[in-house]
This record gives sequence, C-alpha cells and structure tokens, in this order.
Amino acid sequence: MAEEEWEPKILAFCCNWCSYAGADAAGMERRQVPPTIRVIRVMCSGRIDPAFVLMGLLEGADAVLVTGCHIGDCHYVNANNKTRNRYEFLKEFVDELGLEPDRLWLRWISASEGALFADMVREVTEKIKKIGPSPLRRDWKK
Amino acid sequence: MSRCYLAWAKDERIREKGADGGFVTATLVSALETGFIDIALVVAKKSVYEGIPVLTSNPEVVKECAGSLHGAPINLTKYVVEYAAEKRIGLPTKPCDARGIIEQAKRRQVNLDNIFMIGLNCGGTLHPLRMREMAADFYGLDPDSVVKEEIKEGKIFLVSKEAGGKEKETAIKIDELEQKGYGRRDACKSCVTKIPTSSDLACGNWGVPKGEEKKTFVEVLTAKGEAILKNAIDSGYVCIEEAPGEGIEMRRKIEAGMQKLAESWKERIDEVNALSRSGRFDFYVDALKNCIHCGACKEVCPVCACEKEAKCLDMNDERDSYAISMYNVLRIFHLMDSCIHCGQCEDVCPVDIPLTLIQRRFSERMQRHLGYTPGMSVDEKPPLYETELRWNAESMMK
Ligand SMILES: Cc1cc2nc3c(=O)[nH]c(=O)nc-3n(C[C@H](O)[C@H](O)[C@H](O)COP(=O)(O)OP(=O)(O)OC[C@H]3O[C@@H](n4cnc5c(N)ncnc54)[C@H](O)[C@@H]3O)c2cc1C
Ligand code: FES
Repeated sequence: MAEEEWEPKILAFCCNWCSYAGADAAGMERRQVPPTIRVIRVMCSGRIDPAFVLMGLLEGADAVLVTGCHIGDCHYVNANNKTRNRYEFLKEFVDELGLEPDRLWLRWISASEGALFADMVREVTEKIKKIGPSPLRRDWKK
Repeated sequence: MSRCYLAWAKDERIREKGADGGFVTATLVSALETGFIDIALVVAKKSVYEGIPVLTSNPEVVKECAGSLHGAPINLTKYVVEYAAEKRIGLPTKPCDARGIIEQAKRRQVNLDNIFMIGLNCGGTLHPLRMREMAADFYGLDPDSVVKEEIKEGKIFLVSKEAGGKEKETAIKIDELEQKGYGRRDACKSCVTKIPTSSDLACGNWGVPKGEEKKTFVEVLTAKGEAILKNAIDSGYVCIEEAPGEGIEMRRKIEAGMQKLAESWKERIDEVNALSRSGRFDFYVDALKNCIHCGACKEVCPVCACEKEAKCLDMNDERDSYAISMYNVLRIFHLMDSCIHCGQCEDVCPVDIPLTLIQRRFSERMQRHLGYTPGMSVDEKPPLYETELRWNAESMMK
C-alpha cells in the first residue's frame, strides 16, 4: 500500500483579542497557512490552563502552540505574564517527560500580524515533520 | 535569632525515656500544663515497626510517647490540617513535617501563629516492611522479637528479646545495609534537609559532647521557639546550658557530611539519569501505567491542599486511556515547584510506583531553575501562583 504522507496535527490556543485576530488577518490577507493547525479560541491566553496543554499532548497533538497578545498588550491587565510563567513550567515538564522541546511553543501575535501567524504555523509544521509524530499520538486506523 | 543550648528534662523519668535529654517531651508537657498550647500531636509506639500519630491534651500521654521511632515514616502535616487547624498546637517536626506545614500555611490551610514546631534533626526513617526483612535477613532475628531500635555512630542497633527474656543487641553499619538496598528510605537517603530550619526549634543529638549523653542539642530559630522554651524553663520542666562552641562546630560538620552523602545517593538511585530522551519517556509511561487511581498519594501528600475538588481528580477519566493519566500528569505538574521530596506518596502506593524518584526528577530541576526551595519560608509564594517569572539568575545564564 502506498504510504500516505504523514501530516502533523498541531493544536493552537489563540486569545480572542490578538492572536485569534492575527489568524483571521492571515486569512483576510490570503496568506497560505498549512492545514496542520487546529485553533481553539480562548478569551485570553491567561485562560489557557496548563492542563489544557497537557491534555492536548496526551490526546496526541504533535505540537501545542500557546499564543496571546504581546506582553503589555493583554486585554486583562497582565494575564499573559501568568501565561509566560506557566509556559516555563510546561517547558520543563515536556522536556523531562522525554518529549522533544519543539512540541511546545509560545508566541505573542498581535491582531495585525497575519504574516507572523502564517510564518509560525509554517515553521512549526516544518520542525514537526522533521522530528516525526508524537510518541503520544493515537491513531486508531492502522 | 539563632542560639544554641544543651537542654534536658528535669523530670528524671522523662529524661530517661526520651531519645536524648527528653527535652522535646518535657517542653510539650509543660506547654500543655501551663495552658501555653491547647493540644499536642505526638507519635505513639505500637512496635518498632509502627508509630501512630496521637492528638492529645493529656500530658501523661505525651510522656508515654517520648523517644524516637525510625521505623515510622509518617508525615504529621495532614493531621494538623485535618484535626487541629483551629487549635493552638505543639508538635515534634522532622524537617519534612515542618516543610509540609509551611506549605499548608502558604495555601492558607493552617495559621502558623498557632503552631509550635519543635523540630527534630533527621537522618532518615526506614520503611517498616523493609525493616522487617532487614531484621530477618541481615540481623538473623525474628522480626517480631525486636523491641528496640536505635541509630547511632553510623550503625543501626536492633535489640531483641531472647527466649529467656534476655535482651540482645546487634548492630550493623548503615552503609553496609544501604549498599544492599536496605536501610533508610530512598527519600531520606537523598534528603538534604537534615536540620529543620523552618521549625521554631531544632533539636537533636548532633553537637552533644561525648560523655554528656542524655542531653538534647537545641537551636532556637524563631520568636515562637524562644517563647515555648522560656515557658518550659520558667515552669521548671527544663534545664538549659549554653552549647559549647565545639559542639556547634561538630553539628555543622555532621550536617555537611550528611548532605554530601545525600547528594551522592541522589545520583546513585537515579536510574533515569542514564537514559536517553525516548528512554526517559518509556520509563515514565511504563512506571505510571500501573496506577489504579486510588488517590492515596494525593491524600497523604503534605503539600496538596485541594481536598475533593481537585483538578487532578476532576479532569481524570480513565476511559480516555491516555498513555499517562491526567491524574498523574497533573499531580506531577502541580508539584513541580512545591514537592518537598518526603516520599509519602511512594510509601502508600499500592502498586509500588517509584514516585519518590519521579516526583523528584520533575520538581528538582524546576526548583533549581526557580532558585526556590519549598517549605522554608511562609513569605515565599509558590512560583506557579505568581504573575511574574521568578528566575534564578544563575540558571538563566546557562
Ligand atoms: C526518624 C528520626 C531520625 C532522627 N535522626 C536524627 C539525626 O540523625 N541526628 C540528630 O541529631 N537527631 C536525630 N533525631 C532527633 C533525635 O532522635 C531526638 O528526637 C531529639 O534529639 C530530641 O530528643 P528528646 O529526648 O528531646 O526527644 P523526646 O523527648 O524523646 O521526644 C521525641 C518526640 O518525637 C516524637 N517522634 C518519635 N518518632 C517520630 C517520628 N518518626 N516522626 C515524628 N515525631 C516522632 C515522639 O512522639 C516525641 O514526642 C531523629 C529523630 C527521628 C524521629
Ligand atoms: S487578552 Fe490576549 S493574552 Fe490576554
């Protein structure tokens, strides 16, 4: 049987006010974004409980992206500072667990940075294609 | 604040029964009798393999509980939270007891103003089951005939009752036992907090000069410690004298030596260190797949304050059949900044998951990174709760 080319599954959490609007902008500007990404919108990156990220990985996402407004631009005072703090914990966790560090990303993207969003997805997709599927990936069809 | 004394119980019976000078017992008894505290939490000896926590206002019960139990690896934190959070309480605290209580205070489960922590230096405890095996295999004794145990001069002494009612003492070097996988628990072997510096007092035998046995070396660490000590002296239960300089020096040296040994044990018992990234992944998945989700490790954890409404329980659904369950992932994640490495989780685990090692591997690197040691000061919030990053300048440079 011909081997289908393997496509990574990438989970992205986007905050309503910046990075989600950034993703939107990428579309409006007709930029090519790899179809590897699944976006979950949250009101603020501060809403992204580390448990969501961990669950995403356990569900088999090949990478999880945490995105939000630039530091200082969060629409809820300073919640993305908390995001940054939690991300450092997640980074250590993922590394110690034995997953490749590239399976976890943090990026600040503003509403006007559609190009940045598209570039990010491309970059992550390329990296993940190189390191291969997550060992936690669960494919039921064999 | 730190001041060092040699102290002992005036009451000869207490002094005799106490592990060293009976100072801890006498101080608790005097605090109860003078109404300085409402209640005391001590550990009653059932056998050399079993100690049970006793909460009492009766000084006679406290006197009965004098002495050190090395085969009772309990942590007293949760008993304070559960039964005495509203009371003025005094209790002996090993370093891990004191650190657990401080972590609970950070999570507003207890009020430290009401808790008098009479710290005990601690070289470590033994797991009761392994201790029974050790008595049979190495000491050649019937485990049930052992009536007393003691750790001194680097040896473990077991005293057994022989057929004719005679007592027999056998001693084996701790090193020798531990080379063969017996001796102290893994958590204790690799613990570097030997003196409970986050208690109000720190008591032990290190620093008591030779020939002056039956005295307790006491370091006063806080104003509360000073108050309970003053109460014990004023009410006539305790005598003290200034600790000699060479005693203080000796204690410091022994502590440093024990810490060095602990660091070397950390390496020796860490089988994961030699593995590759994917080897590490396989190890964790393999070790944690045996979990039956009984929740015992969370129940005993001296740091966890979540009770029943916990994220690790809520988000866990075994039907997900993840490679590692949400329960385990979240417990490890939430303890990365706060695990005090007491090993209670492993002690109660019904399927023998090496939780001491797993929790330590995840939390130690995070804590080093943060420049944060949990259980030391109530003024330091757990970094995971903070808004801003708390980075250890040194680890940033690497
Ligand atoms: C497991 C253990 C290891 C120790 N290791 C060292 C050491 O390496 N170096 C050192 O200098 N000192 C060590 N100590 C402290 C020392 O043995 C004495 O407890 C201390 O010197 C006080 O002596 P005392 O006569 O004043 O106490 P006592 O008057 O005998 O009172 C001791 C109190 O501790 C309580 N207790 C007994 N076992 C436990 C336990 N497992 N957990 C919590 N509380 C307990 C008793 O109920 C009692 O209230 C250790 C103590 C323990 C319990
Ligand atoms: S609103 Fe965008 S990160 Fe808070």
